This record gives sequence, C-alpha cells and structure tokens, in this order.
Amino acid sequence: MQTAFTAAQLRNPEIADAAAILKDCVHYGFCTAVCPTYVVLRDENDSPRGRIDLIRAMLEKGGAPDAKTVLHLDRCLSCNSCMTTCAAKVDYMHLADIGRAHIEKHYRRPLGERLLRALLARVLTRPERFRLAVRGARIARPFARVLPRRLRPLIALAPTALPSAADAVRAGLYPADGARRMRVALLAGCVQQALAPRINAATIRVLTRHGCEVVVAEGATCCGALPLHMGREDQAKALARETIAAWQRAMAEGGLDAVVVNASGCGTTVKDYGKIFKHDGAIAAPAQEIAERALDVSELLARLGLKTPAMRIPLAIAYHDACSLQHAQKVTEPPRALLRKAGFRVLDVPERHFCCGSAGTYNMLQPELAEQFGRRKAAHIDSTGAAAIAAGNLGCLTQIGLYSALPAVHTVELLDWATGGPMPALLEGIKMPPPASEEAPPAPADANAIW
Amino acid sequence: MSNADLDAFLKDCERALGAENVSLAAETIQRYGEHTLPAADRRPGAVVYPGSTAEVQAVVRAANAHKVPIFPVSTGNNMGLGTRAPVRAGQVVVDLAKRMNRILEIDEVLGYAAVEPGVSFQMMADELVRRGGRYVISTTSGPPQGGMLGNALDKGAGYGPMFDHFGFSCGMEVVLGNGDVIRTGDGSIDHPNAPNWHVSKYSFGPILDGLFTQSNFGIVTRMGIWLMPKPPAIRSFHFAFPDDDDLEQIVELCRPLKLANFVPTLFRVSNDLYLIGTHDTYPDYEKSGGKASISDAQRKALQAKHRCGAWNVSGAFYGPSMEAMEPQINRVKQIFLQSGKAKYISHEEALASPPLKIAIDSFSGVPTHGELGLLKWRPGGGNSWAPPGTPMVGKTANKFQKAARAIYERHGMDYMIMNVCGGRFARGLHVISFNRESADERRRADAVYREVSNAFAAEGVSVGRAPVDYYDFHMSKLMPSFRDACRAIKKALDPNGIIAPGKYGID
Repeated sequence: MQTAFTAAQLRNPEIADAAAILKDCVHYGFCTAVCPTYVVLRDENDSPRGRIDLIRAMLEKGGAPDAKTVLHLDRCLSCNSCMTTCAAKVDYMHLADIGRAHIEKHYRRPLGERLLRALLARVLTRPERFRLAVRGARIARPFARVLPRRLRPLIALAPTALPSAADAVRAGLYPADGARRMRVALLAGCVQQALAPRINAATIRVLTRHGCEVVVAEGATCCGALPLHMGREDQAKALARETIAAWQRAMAEGGLDAVVVNASGCGTTVKDYGKIFKHDGAIAAPAQEIAERALDVSELLARLGLKTPAMRIPLAIAYHDACSLQHAQKVTEPPRALLRKAGFRVLDVPERHFCCGSAGTYNMLQPELAEQFGRRKAAHIDSTGAAAIAAGNLGCLTQIGLYSALPAVHTVELLDWATGGPMPALLEGIKMPPPASEEAPPAPADANAIW
Repeated sequence: MSNADLDAFLKDCERALGAENVSLAAETIQRYGEHTLPAADRRPGAVVYPGSTAEVQAVVRAANAHKVPIFPVSTGNNMGLGTRAPVRAGQVVVDLAKRMNRILEIDEVLGYAAVEPGVSFQMMADELVRRGGRYVISTTSGPPQGGMLGNALDKGAGYGPMFDHFGFSCGMEVVLGNGDVIRTGDGSIDHPNAPNWHVSKYSFGPILDGLFTQSNFGIVTRMGIWLMPKPPAIRSFHFAFPDDDDLEQIVELCRPLKLANFVPTLFRVSNDLYLIGTHDTYPDYEKSGGKASISDAQRKALQAKHRCGAWNVSGAFYGPSMEAMEPQINRVKQIFLQSGKAKYISHEEALASPPLKIAIDSFSGVPTHGELGLLKWRPGGGNSWAPPGTPMVGKTANKFQKAARAIYERHGMDYMIMNVCGGRFARGLHVISFNRESADERRRADAVYREVSNAFAAEGVSVGRAPVDYYDFHMSKLMPSFRDACRAIKKALDPNGIIAPGKYGID
C-alpha cells in the first residue's frame, strides 16, 4: 500500500515502523473471512484490511482521529487471526498497537469511557486492587441495574467468590525434584494471582516435577499486556520495566534458561519485549534478552519431555486454541501433543481460528460483541461432546465459562494431574471414563470402516 | 445500462432482500473492484447479498426487468484469477457468500454433503471434525476460505483421490439467466424429495451440470459434493531432484504409478521457487529493482537453505497404519531412487519442513494457509495464474518447461510452477508474481502471461482456468463453431444477457 507520510513524520520512529508495515498490505482480503468482527458485522471498516486503511489515514493526517476511526479500532479484538491468514505477512499486531497508542494520546474519549479505561488499567494489573474491586462488585451486584451502563459488564464478569489471597504463589525459589535440569522464571501475573492461583500452583508442581528450579521473582507482577492493548503504552512500559528488572535480578543470581508464561496473552507480550522497547535506549538489550528466553509453559514441557503419566485418564477434552497462542505465538501442536501423551482424548473445536471474545479487556469494553463471540465459541465446544475444556489462557477460560456449562481448566492443570498432581477442583464430580491401559486404545470400531 | 436502470434495479433488490442487503458504500465498492492482475481495478456498480435461492431468483428477475448486468461471486478467494472484481466495471456483484453459507445436508451413510455457495473448505472441514472426523474433504492448497461450490464450478482441483472437484460434485440447483430454477441430475424429477439427487449423476435426459462450469448461463445455489472416508493413517513420500531437466524423467517415473493407481494421490511436482516461495521472498529484489529474474546461483543457494531440489515430488498413501504402508513406500523409493539423482525425504522429515507440510495437509484434506506465501515472492501484491497442461510424456513436459522458463527469463520474471500429475495429464500451475504497484512489472507480467499462453496454444494446448483479464484472449483461440455454440446457449438460457456478460469470453 502506498503511503503519504512526510519526511518529518517519518523521523518519528513509530511512524516509520507503521509506514514499513503499511507498505506490505496489498489488500488481498484473505483477512476479512477470518476476522470475527467482519464475519459478524460485514463492514469493511470492521475488517483488518479496512482498519489498516483507517490507521494509515489517521497517522498520515496526524493529530486527533475522528470518532469513526476510533469506533472501528476499538472493535478490533487483536486476536491476530488476520496475521495467520495474511499472504502478504502484514504485521497487523504492531500496527494496531501503534494505532491504539496514537488514539490514546490524541483522542479525548467521553468521560465515562475514560474513567472505565483508567479503572481497568489500574485495577487489573495489581492483584491486591483486583481483589478489592471484586469485593466491590459483589456488593454492587444487586444494584447492577441502576449502575452506569458501562459498568454493568464488569459486575457481570466479576466472580462471585475469589480464592483466598493466601493461595497466591509467593515470590521465591521452588527447587527441582531430583536433579536440576533447568532454572526458569515463572510469570505469576496479575489477574491470575487473584482469580486463579491454582494455575500457578499447578505450573510450579509440573515444572519442579520435570527437573526445573522455578523462580517467582519479587517484583515481576504484570507484563503490561492489558494496558498495552488499551493503547496505554506508557503505563504498559512502566509495568514491563519493573518485570524485566525483576527477571534481570534473577538472571544475575543464578542465570535463567527460560522465562515461562502460563497465560498466553501475557506470553505474547513478553515474547514481544524486544520490539516494544527497541526505541527505548538502555532497556532495549535486556528486554530482547528476556524475549528470547520467553516460552509458553507447553513449549517448555515439550522440550523437557513429559514424564510417563502416573495414570492414563482418557477423558475427552476439547482443546481451545487461545488466539494469543495460535495466532500470535503460533503454538498449536505442543499443548495437544502433551495432553495426548498424558492420556487425554483431545478433541479439536470447529472454527478454531475464531476468538472467544475474551481478548484482554475486550469483554469489558465491548460486551455485546464479546457475548456473541463467547456464545458462538461455547456452542462449538459443546458440539464436540467433550467432558471438559482445556486452554492455555485464563482470559479464555473465564470468558468461555460464562457461556458453556463444561468445566474449563488450564492445560497445565491437566498435565499436573496426569503426572501425579491433584485432580483439578473444577473437575470434581465429573463422570470419569474407565481407566485406560498403558497404550492408547485403538479407535472404536466403526461398522462402516473398511480399514 | 443507465443510472435510472441501476436505481430501479437496486430498489427492486431492496424490496426483495431488505435494504441492509444492498450496498453502495464507497469502501465496499472499492474493495470489490480490487484484484491482483495486471489490469486496473474494475469497480462494480453495487453489491447485493441474497440469502436464498428465491432471493437470487428475485435478483435475476429484477436484472432482466431493468437490463442490469450482474456478476455473481461465491467467496471470491480465487486470487490470481480475478478475486471478486466483475469482468466489466459497473456490473453489480451478487455476493453469495455473506448469507448463503449454509451446509444444507451431510449424509454420513452415503458420504456426501450439499452446500450453498458460501461454504468454504475450512467451514466444511470444521463441520466434519465436529461430527467426529469420519470423513474428509478434498481441498485445494489455496485459501482455506475459498468456496467449495465456486471452486468446483471453476474446475478447481485438490490432490487426493477426489481431486476433481467438479467430477466429484453431484446434483445442482441453478437459477438460470431467464429466472427459471432447475435441479440437475436425479434432482430434476418433478418431486419434492429426490433421494438420488446427490448420489447419481446419470439420470434421464442430458447432463446439464457441465454447462454451469466456467460459464455465465446460470447461478448455482446448491451443489452436492462427495466426501472421502477418513483413512486411519496417511503417509507421504517426497523426492528432490537437482536439475531443471530432471522433469523429463520425473514425468516418466510418475506416469506408471498413477496409471496403475498404485499411488492414490496426484503427484505434486513443484519447482524450487514454487516450494521456496511459500516461505521466502525474492532475495535480491530491491537490488535488481525487480527487473531481472532470480539468478541460477541464487536459486542454488535457496535450494540449499530450504533443503529442496530444482524439482520436488510429493505423493502419499492411505492405509490402516503408518507401518502397514511400509511396503508401498519401499516400492516407490525403489522406483524413484533407481535413477541415482533423486534424494528421498521421509514423511517425518517432511512434517518438519513447512513447504512440504503443505503437501501433506493437501493430501489429508486439511485446508492450509501455507501456499499463500507465494503471493509475497515479490512485493506489491501482483499475482496471475496460468494453468496450461501437458500430456504425461517426459519429453513433451520438459519441452514445455524450457519454453515457458525462457519466456519468464526474457521478461525478467521468476519461473514458478507446480505440475500436478495424474496418469495421463499434468496441470502446470504457472505462477506469475509481480509488483502490481510498478507499471513496468505489470506490463512484463502481462507479456509473460500472453506469451506463455501463446506458446502452449501454438502446440495445441489451452488452459484449465483463466484470470478474468484474459477471457476474451483465450476464447479467441477456440474454434469458431464452439464459440458460436456457447453464444447460442447463452441466448437460450439468458436471453437478455444479464449474468456476467463477458465471463469466460461468453456474451
């Protein structure tokens, strides 16, 4: 695509980055068919191709964008499904980040919207604030109807009960069981620590069982992904700097073979630190160093090789590909292979490229669209006949849990269970199939099959 | 067609389809006019979105009433052949994919599906997964969002035993240009339920189905498509050959294996750039300004980087287990390795090679994005496909190769081809990748297309499909009486000439 940036504009490194990305788009339009918002809304401006054009026009003009541009960019999930299908390999993810940061700097949103975004950015990124907010939501729930419209989705999404703060994993060192094979840092995270600390606990059990010394670094709390997706670049970078500094300290103390992330939305951001900080002087090199070590927990376990399961549990599991894993990180096979090796029967979900509507803060900021995507995903999952859902991202588990009655657990919880850990609490009471033999059983005989 | 005619037509469409299903939005018109070919974009007059056969019929009737030409598209993903842009500017695009994208029926006893035009390869593959994976589709290696029905009508193909997508379709519903609706095959019986509609092609009367391939006599709104029971295991094999002229012996080696159907898939015989171009770009494009073809030295370097040959052969077996196919694999190895030039690449090695994984997915009925990378070999998004073919005779195939390669190189373009080989015939998918933002490259890409096509035509060879820009060019090479017959059929079924006049060179 031809652009019309002036030489002065191109001296701004972010505009130069955007110009380089825009050049690659040649309007093939493969992206439109896989873009959830285009599929639902059928408006060219709600497709990646349309948004790319809007971002181009906005950046070329400079200054405050018009409301139409903001509307269509706000509706983007940043699921990056378009990037998987794009033949021209347009780096839409970073273009959207640049576009959102521009909006945040130059556009004055209505007061309610500003307050909501500020609230989310401040609350979600700190577990202690999040816990307080959930308590507030519980109190407010009976009065939801009289609350401002923009707040109602938050109340609806807030859990009715939270695990105790004592369940959150503590910063510190978790030694390997037996001989140490690797020393890794685990991102315990922000929302996850408050909402589902069980995932971190299961991750530590699995990793230590596989010979990893796990460091949960003091100060490594939020990776910055949530504010980044809202265009709040400065806040995102401040949080990421704290986290990078914490891991640098851990690295100085004893080296790090990997930085493990078990929330794939966060993993995408951590893997991207090199690009995020490339124009930021001294932090650029350490950020790149962390990015190069970052691995999804399934990637690390695939490298380590899963231990022979303590018991084979042939439970039918619908594996949901979180967009951040399949489209941004391109990690699709390791989680499936691990679950199969652990003995589970892994079922693919139809329309697996399609987002569930979680998308960071999307289900709070775009509740109507998010609900459509959530219901669509849940219906596809339910159609598989699975007994439970597995995914590698807490956001997806929460969102799908709103619309599907099936228990939704993190992949690592199942791997923990299969290799000697406790059964995930959410699966209690589930009807268990009879235990399988050492080897996976042959596929059930099909009267019509000739093989 | 005057503006008043168009307005009146669109008003009729609004009444029949609802105002929300008629678009004159500037962004929409612009996008629907875009394509990847050397000629300029061709914007439609409007875009309408029918939701049923009855609504398609209403659109056709309104078009007849107001003499407004319409251009039906299904999913519009045939990149390099025209996308969704109408054959002539101003025609109203009838987009059948937005609302007519239902899988109408899947019969798991008899192994067929019935689909509307908007059902994509990916949608069907997803649905079959959801149903437990007893069946697979035959898929192209093109866009997963491409439509099954449109691909079959355009004589598209896959790579497995059901590669011939029109051949493995059965029974259609068609809105003719005069507004009548017909069912073909056993569906033509005057009865509301025809159990043989999608299982038998040969019923009483002429076989009309072929009339609606690569033509403009009607709009197909439903098609039966046969499905393949999913085999328990698929094991591929691959061979790399070092020299361009090895094509001659490759064709000779493939032919008997396919004539006997010892190998159940077609052979994908890709040249180096076709394979490499899926995951890499022309390395010295900036340096040469796109004026020169890639050099032989660069090709060799890329072959080493991607561990492939000047030619690369892929095929696959289906069987009860990977182990059970060992004897077949050994036999194929024995045949290919006898020349001393081929290098064997196993299924397991190929799984780890992104370009060869595309072949495995294609043989397995798994839609894949991988091959779309070819569209980025050169920057600027230009892409044409020229698919002539060759009889499966090594010397003939190699003669065609040399002639076409020389034409590409004379114009400073990069020879990129996959020969998809059966027992008697191979389709040569010639890719022309060019920078559509460069007037010079557009001109050279156009010259390559015409000269390659002329070179084949001089040998009595036509093309299997054609980009929209070249319909008249190819039609002019057919015998006059055939052209007259096409015009006569058009006149009979679409007397006002309202369906896509000019499509496939038929007015």
